[in-house]
Amino acid sequence: MGLQLIDVHKSYPMRQGRKRVLRGIDATFRRGERVGILGRNGSGKSTLVRILGGIEAPTRGTIRRSMSVSWPIGMAAGFHGALSGADNTRFIARIYDRPVRETVDFVESFAELGDYLRMPVNTYSAGMRSRLGLAISLAIDFDCFLVDEALAVGDTRFGRAFGARLARAGLIIVTHQPSLVRQLCRRAAVLADGTLTFFDDIDEALATYNSL
Amino acid sequence: MSEAAARPGLVDGARLQLRVIGALVIREMHTRFGRQRLGYLWLFAEPLLLGGVIALLHGASGGEGIRSSFEFFSIGFMLFQLFRGIVARAPNTINANQSLLYHRQVTLPDLFFARHAIELAASAGVMALFVFAGIAMGGEAPDHPVKMILALVLMLLLAQGLAFMVGSITSEFEAVGYFIQVATFGLMPICGLMFMVEWLPAEWQEAALWVPTVHLFELMRDGQFGEQFNPVYDLAYVGWWIIVPHLLGLAGLRIARKRVGLD
Repeated sequence: MGLQLIDVHKSYPMRQGRKRVLRGIDATFRRGERVGILGRNGSGKSTLVRILGGIEAPTRGTIRRSMSVSWPIGMAAGFHGALSGADNTRFIARIYDRPVRETVDFVESFAELGDYLRMPVNTYSAGMRSRLGLAISLAIDFDCFLVDEALAVGDTRFGRAFGARLARAGLIIVTHQPSLVRQLCRRAAVLADGTLTFFDDIDEALATYNSL
Repeated sequence: MSEAAARPGLVDGARLQLRVIGALVIREMHTRFGRQRLGYLWLFAEPLLLGGVIALLHGASGGEGIRSSFEFFSIGFMLFQLFRGIVARAPNTINANQSLLYHRQVTLPDLFFARHAIELAASAGVMALFVFAGIAMGGEAPDHPVKMILALVLMLLLAQGLAFMVGSITSEFEAVGYFIQVATFGLMPICGLMFMVEWLPAEWQEAALWVPTVHLFELMRDGQFGEQFNPVYDLAYVGWWIIVPHLLGLAGLRIARKRVGLD
């Protein structure tokens, strides 16, 4: 078992009535499984990611979590701009109960930040920030990496190393980019009208998605 | 709505929460005082300077006995500082740490607990310093230190419940925060820092005892000066001021947690 959603609903209060974003999601993600979830803009992708990541509670329904799921990678990992990359790394290692020194060593060797690791995160470029976040998430070594939107690592040494590591991990990618799903996933689902439909065949999922 | 299976047991849950609060304390110290080791001293410098100056001003204004003693104001001010530090910092606690909620083990109360632990360390540390300074200057040792510690702990809890309420309200209505900053200073003359209840005219005594902090200042000075005056306090009354705001504040934080935007 891994992560299971049973009849999950999520709605938000609006000026008039409630906006029902998710309307009964049933899904099972097994440990080590690599699943892509495709959704158009406004289909509720971000909401689903936050619920999968345990950041928001559903309005109704049950979530069973028996594996460690990462924070939504690609979103800000809660870095404090005034603190150095190393201090931010230490903080995250502490709250995930990982050895602090080893985590920093891993990030140092993996993120290719050089001396910047000891500088405030404010001074980082967007690329450096993203490398820091990705390197920390790898150091924590989750059972399942939850990836939000496009993962722009590019064809760099870091990008290839990250991709290689991710190719061996459990994965849930929520995105609007079919290419990413084809490249990394074994199973796919389409999110539309607040429900999630699974396809065993990736091509079938992509065809459905493209016809939306 | 439920989150089954991986929900940790009570012991594991407490361990996890302590770990998160500990990490938040370190992070808060780094962001507030920088990374240099001596930076931590600033935590104590501010209350030390404020309390010292106020106590010396009152000491210099003459008079005799408790009323003008250095210990009366310096130690009393730390009790006020604990309250003010916690309540006045409550308004931006959620906004300043919102992005941490991406890590699901970080909860809104944790953000407050971490800050309160820091405020308690600062106030209690400087208070101990003033106690020893008072003795060194020829004053008497506290009559009943346990009562002083109890007053500190109750003040922490009183401020904490109110901080939960202030924090959840200001996460929705930001402008309330500015009012809180002013209001905590406005409390200074009536909170019990400047007077003992028995010094007040009879018709004011009853009014003063409506203010919960007054009871805690009386308790603290009971421990500090013992038989030298007749303190008046009702800890059950303070208890209500602790319990009710905690319930309201924690409920408010639950609501706030659902509404805090994470984008």
